[in-house]
Amino acid sequence: MLNMMRITLKGVFRDRVFQGIMALAVLFLFIPSAASLSMRQVTELSVTLSLSLISFILLLLSVFLGGTSLWRDIERRYTFGVLSLPLSRSSYILGRFLGLALFLVLVSVVLGVAACVAVNVASSLYPADRPVVWSFVALALVYATLKYILLVAVALLLSTVSTSFFLPVFGTICTFLASGISQQVYEYVHSAAAVQTVSPLFRQVVTAVYYLIPNLAGFDLKINAIYSVAPNPRGLALTACYFLAYTAILLAGSIFLFNRREMK
Amino acid sequence: MYALEICGLAKTFKGKKMRTVEALKGLNLCVEPGEVLGFLGPNGAGKSTTIKCLMGLLRPTRGSATIQGRDISSAEARRSVGYLPENPAFYDYLNAEEYLLFVGRAFGMAPELLAQRTEEMLKLLELWEHRKRLIRTYSKGMVQRVGLAQVLLHDPDIYILDEPMSGLDPIGRALVKEIILDLKKRGKCVFFSTHITDDVEKICDRVAVINKGQLLVVDSVQNILQQGTEGYTVTVVAGDGRREEVFVTTDRLQSFIRDAAGESRSIEKIEPRRKDMEAFFLEIVAR
Amino acid sequence: MALLVAGLLAYAAVIGPFTAYMRDKPMEEKLGYVPSVKVMKSVSVDQKELAGASLVFKVLMYYGTLMGQAPKGTILKDPGDLQGMSRLLHGAVQLDPYNMDAYYFAQGILTWDAHQYQVANALLDYGMKYRNWDWFLPFFAGFNNAYFLKDYKKAAHYYDLAGDLSGEPLYKSLASRYMQESGQTDLAIAYLSGMVKTAKNDAVRKSYQLRLQAFLEVSRIEKARDRFARERGGMPASLEDLVRSGYLKPAPVDPYGGTFYLEPDGKVATTSKFAFGAKKK
Repeated sequence: MLNMMRITLKGVFRDRVFQGIMALAVLFLFIPSAASLSMRQVTELSVTLSLSLISFILLLLSVFLGGTSLWRDIERRYTFGVLSLPLSRSSYILGRFLGLALFLVLVSVVLGVAACVAVNVASSLYPADRPVVWSFVALALVYATLKYILLVAVALLLSTVSTSFFLPVFGTICTFLASGISQQVYEYVHSAAAVQTVSPLFRQVVTAVYYLIPNLAGFDLKINAIYSVAPNPRGLALTACYFLAYTAILLAGSIFLFNRREMK
Repeated sequence: MYALEICGLAKTFKGKKMRTVEALKGLNLCVEPGEVLGFLGPNGAGKSTTIKCLMGLLRPTRGSATIQGRDISSAEARRSVGYLPENPAFYDYLNAEEYLLFVGRAFGMAPELLAQRTEEMLKLLELWEHRKRLIRTYSKGMVQRVGLAQVLLHDPDIYILDEPMSGLDPIGRALVKEIILDLKKRGKCVFFSTHITDDVEKICDRVAVINKGQLLVVDSVQNILQQGTEGYTVTVVAGDGRREEVFVTTDRLQSFIRDAAGESRSIEKIEPRRKDMEAFFLEIVAR
Repeated sequence: MALLVAGLLAYAAVIGPFTAYMRDKPMEEKLGYVPSVKVMKSVSVDQKELAGASLVFKVLMYYGTLMGQAPKGTILKDPGDLQGMSRLLHGAVQLDPYNMDAYYFAQGILTWDAHQYQVANALLDYGMKYRNWDWFLPFFAGFNNAYFLKDYKKAAHYYDLAGDLSGEPLYKSLASRYMQESGQTDLAIAYLSGMVKTAKNDAVRKSYQLRLQAFLEVSRIEKARDRFARERGGMPASLEDLVRSGYLKPAPVDPYGGTFYLEPDGKVATTSKFAFGAKKK
């Protein structure tokens, strides 16, 4: 498993993904000047822009790395060589997952440092009314990383049943979009206003979907980092547990499906 | 204990439009340790399907198989096997050395042994100078050699090679033949698929012929060649020293020798004239 | 190769007019259509703060061009698409209820330009639920209540809150000091000079400065008028009287390009009707 993880990481680095990210990270240089456009919240805006940029990069990585890594192995027939080794399929999947997860962690650490520098520059130019609480920024980064690691697991699960990269890539994007609105839709169909207009069946379907797709809204601690609002510790603990449980289910599902997958 | 034991192995693929394709129809085959068995069959006969089932890449629909007594459903069964896929492809973002290290670790080899064996294999297969180049820059023949290196790396007892000579130039084919003969000398079991009869004739102890998912014949190469004897070409030297070649059918050979002795003609050479493996193969498959 | 050359030529031919077209597009178009907040909320997924900030910037850019286009000394009759700006700002705070820029800017345009004091106060109340540490929002609300709505009780409550949050006793005294009708101009001047000092954005500062200038002139006229009344025992008949009699030197200039005059009851007004003079009755 560690072996597989090492190979995964090596592959990501050899494919120059990291260099690509560094190219995108040049945008951090512009954050202080972009943030100074703000009228009343330069520091806050610099934190917003930094966290948004990191989120966006992590999203791209999780969707494309997660969605293509299995597909590529199968498509290019690497799996014949690898899965015929005395290596169980579960350790193959877990190794892939952990390798990608570790890469996301690495990226967010590197980008996190860059973001801190950018925010520091911005806040030294225009001191904020409310000083930045760095631990909140770090927490927001940690939870953003967890969120995208979960998304990698979604992509892997979809990869185990798919023969092309369309399903994993677009399925993951759809999951991500749906995860952002599931809470809203759920609350709407259960609201008093919707009682007349929404049929009970539809309500049940929505409820089922709500529990099925990941709820990623809880991982978003940007507000807390940007405006230095203390996050709710119980909420954080629950979100972490949710992450562990949901990822475990996704991985178990991926292993189950991949074990049944035939390498034609 | 057999090196490989295949019992009633069957594989049905679900095709499009609810059609099913029976790729394997209850295959039974045992391979002894130390034996080189050629798995001969035309394209699409089920050779690769059999091998992929053995390597855990496909799940058999029915039947079972063991490798050194271990059921193929567990990853452990593959620990004593070196497998060369058909037209292999390896992580092309690695170099040959890194790939071998990856394979060696998967087999749980000790680091010192692994480093030593990696060097040996790279040198044996003439990849040593290219070991730091990424596999994506390799030619087809070089990739095949990487495949052989990863097969030999952990010195297993059983070798399962899927079309090891396909797509190789004459030098490459000679190298593969040499390697298999060397393995045979060292008492290893080699099970390889091919559709080239000549290879089988030259290196195999036994041959198994498969067509349309069914095993047709399993016999020793010697037997097959023997059975295929149609007669003999006898070179006779007459009293005056004149040489003559005569064709004699098998049933007439004894009387011919007796007659020759009576007529004071000496027999210089008796050569069996037989159908070769190719003719044999074509005959069986056509049956 | 030929295709590349043809493409480059076509691009060179088109890019000039295209850029000009985009630049000269009417401003109303530039503010553009923004999808409903519900849609934006769904699409922005975990980038709601960024979406909110971008909406504010859209408004700010629009406002900036508006201010930049107005020639100096002319009457700024058209305050722009106020409704559109208000809609965008409301959208922004729904996406990110903490976005201070949105409140700050909304306070500026909703009160002085759009005269929608209740809307402004509702927005500020909404913001106070989230930015519960920020003294700016109650400070704005206090000013709106005191100056525009004349609801001194509410104003005092907000000023108290602003004082508590900022730890500055000034805001508490503000309440008592300016809570009479006569103190209105001073109240506005105090508020506006504070805004000019803290404004970072040029367009915004320019607009506040203009207004502050106008109010300083009004204040000057008012002081002269009061001195005239004290010393001569009666209101001056007209602004010209004040200037001619030497109480008001130099003659007042309306930065909005209008002319100041005295209403029959002695109140200072201007022909440019810069919002407050005309509406305040």
